[in-house]
Amino acid sequence: MGKKRLITGVVATAEAVRLADVDVISSFPIRPYTGIMSELARMIADGELDAEFVHAEGEHAQLSVVYGASAAGARTFTGSSGVGVTYAMEVYSPISGERLPVQMAIADRTLDPPGDFGSEHTDAEVCRDQGWIQGWAATPQEALDLTLLYYRIGEDPRVLLPQYACQDGYFVSHIAGEVDVPDEAQVKEFLPPYKNKHQLNIYEPQIIGAQIEPDMGPPLQYQRALAMRNAKEVIKEAYDDYNRIFGRNYSPFVEEYMTEDADVVIFLQGAHSQTAIDVARRLRNHGEKVGVVRLRTFRPFPTEEVRDALSKFKVIGVVDNSANFGIAGGGGVLLTEARTALYGEGDKVKTVGFVAGLGGEAITRDEFYRMFAKLKDIAKTGKVEQNAYWVPFEL
Amino acid sequence: MLEQIKTIRHAPDEEYYVSGHRTCAGCGPALVYRLVAKAAGPNTIFLGPTGCMYVANTSYGCGPFAVPWLHTQITNAGGVASGVEAAYKAMMRKGKYTGERPHVIVMAGDGGATDIGLQALSGMLYRGHDVLFICYDNESYANTGIQTSPTTPWGAVTTFTPSGPAIPEGKRLWPKDNAQLVAHGHPELKYLATASLAFPLDLMNKVRKGLNAEGPAYLHIQAPCPKGWQFDSDKTIDMAKLAVDTGMFQLYEYENGKYTITYTPRKRKPVEEYIKLQGRFSHLKPEHIEKIQQFVDAKLKAIEVEVTAVSEAAPTD
Ligand SMILES: Cc1ncc(C[n+]2csc(CCOP(=O)(O)OP(=O)(O)O)c2C)c(N)n1
Ligand code: SF4
Ligand SMILES: [Mg+2]
Repeated sequence: MGKKRLITGVVATAEAVRLADVDVISSFPIRPYTGIMSELARMIADGELDAEFVHAEGEHAQLSVVYGASAAGARTFTGSSGVGVTYAMEVYSPISGERLPVQMAIADRTLDPPGDFGSEHTDAEVCRDQGWIQGWAATPQEALDLTLLYYRIGEDPRVLLPQYACQDGYFVSHIAGEVDVPDEAQVKEFLPPYKNKHQLNIYEPQIIGAQIEPDMGPPLQYQRALAMRNAKEVIKEAYDDYNRIFGRNYSPFVEEYMTEDADVVIFLQGAHSQTAIDVARRLRNHGEKVGVVRLRTFRPFPTEEVRDALSKFKVIGVVDNSANFGIAGGGGVLLTEARTALYGEGDKVKTVGFVAGLGGEAITRDEFYRMFAKLKDIAKTGKVEQNAYWVPFEL
Repeated sequence: MLEQIKTIRHAPDEEYYVSGHRTCAGCGPALVYRLVAKAAGPNTIFLGPTGCMYVANTSYGCGPFAVPWLHTQITNAGGVASGVEAAYKAMMRKGKYTGERPHVIVMAGDGGATDIGLQALSGMLYRGHDVLFICYDNESYANTGIQTSPTTPWGAVTTFTPSGPAIPEGKRLWPKDNAQLVAHGHPELKYLATASLAFPLDLMNKVRKGLNAEGPAYLHIQAPCPKGWQFDSDKTIDMAKLAVDTGMFQLYEYENGKYTITYTPRKRKPVEEYIKLQGRFSHLKPEHIEKIQQFVDAKLKAIEVEVTAVSEAAPTD
């Protein structure tokens, strides 16, 4: 059985990397994810972890290093935040395209400007369609669990895709929570060694990543799309096993809180869900029929599960913790994707967007109260007057 | 350890860069690849950044590599090579791989080595990864249709440096000397050399020295490109030889803090003999060619050992 520790998200992630017996790690400093790397460096210095620790000359190089290492057959880990995430952009598609199950932790940070250190999902969401498995941890415990889950899911031969294991900067990365750190035997039972058919091996020479003709590309793209589809089944299996072996109670795609008989719900992902749940609970004490639906897996986007979860309610407020300038609907990515999932439900289910918590500001209880009030308003009048509100400027 | 090859007749018969590619006839980089693969042998992993040696070599289903090969971005061969090397180090230490440790070789163009990929190369050398990084220098961004790169010579016409009434000489910058740039700022570098297609034995032995070195090594190999330089496809080797004989390209090694000139022409030829054979220079006027001559003379004087080389072979005509 595991050991209970009071640790932050970055330390919890490092613990998971150690437990996964990672072979090659590549680092570059940027807050707030840096703490993961300093903890891993400490583990290596103290002899707790045997891995090659490559101090890359930038994030583009970080991703290049794990691309090569994964192709050579190693289990790999890297990570970043903010502009570091976008600096490496070129390399994300080659990694998923060559079907290399690299793992990258993202502890969110705003892009520049404004150059503050605050958390925003924008950095990680910019990379959302690169063929990587992606989802958010909302607590340090979940950060640890997500790391292990994602190695298992990404390395599954039916998937073979890289993974962004995301956590909100500071709210998760730097606030300590109680974490059950599993023991190595449990992890061994859950996570088999990494083995990829496509590997650089002098005994079975292969050409990996050949240049191809235009008509040969689409079948490969299609395979990548199928891998994303297949991932859904594998994600379910992995969560089942994880819950069983480690005694957790996760739902793989969407998690519902106080949604029975709810009229209106907030839909969101990541750490701010904790505040939303808290506010919903308080409103419930006053007899209000409100709830929260939290997205756990963002890529592949669980379209059917989101539809099934959300179509039960009258009004859904979608909270986006990202800046998406000029996006359809004027909210964020989650709003547009939730609306896509609800396509076919007609006007029965009303949706409205809230862009909130930008720049790393906490989304306050008061703000969630205002959002719920807006949802109740819409439920009463049946009218969505504005597609999306930037909080606090417009609500 | 890979032994030095005594004479060209002692070179191994086995080829690891075989048929099945679509490079232009007389392609210098393809000929370089063949010699490098021959010298390195079967225990090799090649990394190929985007460029002619990726695009023309690995068109689907007809790659010429008999050893493992992985594509890298034009930007990141040094990083990917670092990862491959680090992976084998870790996997061998942890008992996850029990075979022979493979040699890791990057085959980058001048763009991938001296320009957009320079940061990755420098990072790899600085960190001391045991990789042989080779720049096959065809002196342009060839695969995109011959655009100027840092090693394109002064006065050469490319599609980005055409010659016209306002800019009669074409390219107006002097080439970046990547070998020099690399040699002096990377304390972990174990071996560096320049090589030429016209000296195949020397080239193969330098490859082997680079691979034997325990740590990073860099080879800069001039590789004439008939398409980009505009000469007939049967003149590739002649062009490589003339580059060395005119001093446009010098052959040397740098090891343990010491330079060794590995070939000195008995009589250095004027650069004009090299320049007049290539369409990329056909617009140059005598005063332009004189400028190039002065640049080459000054460059050869710059390193003391090379002064000797020059004075011994100073042109009389
Ligand atoms: C990031 C990026 N920018 C631009 C390109 C376009 N590109 C493809 S091949 C090439 C030329 C490469 O030149 P070099 O490295 O000298 O190799 P060569 O083609 O001359 O063999 C360029 C610029 C690319 N593939 N990737
Ligand atoms: S353009 Fe030059 S380098 Fe490219 S394939 Fe043709 S000859 Fe070779
Ligand atoms: Mg080139």
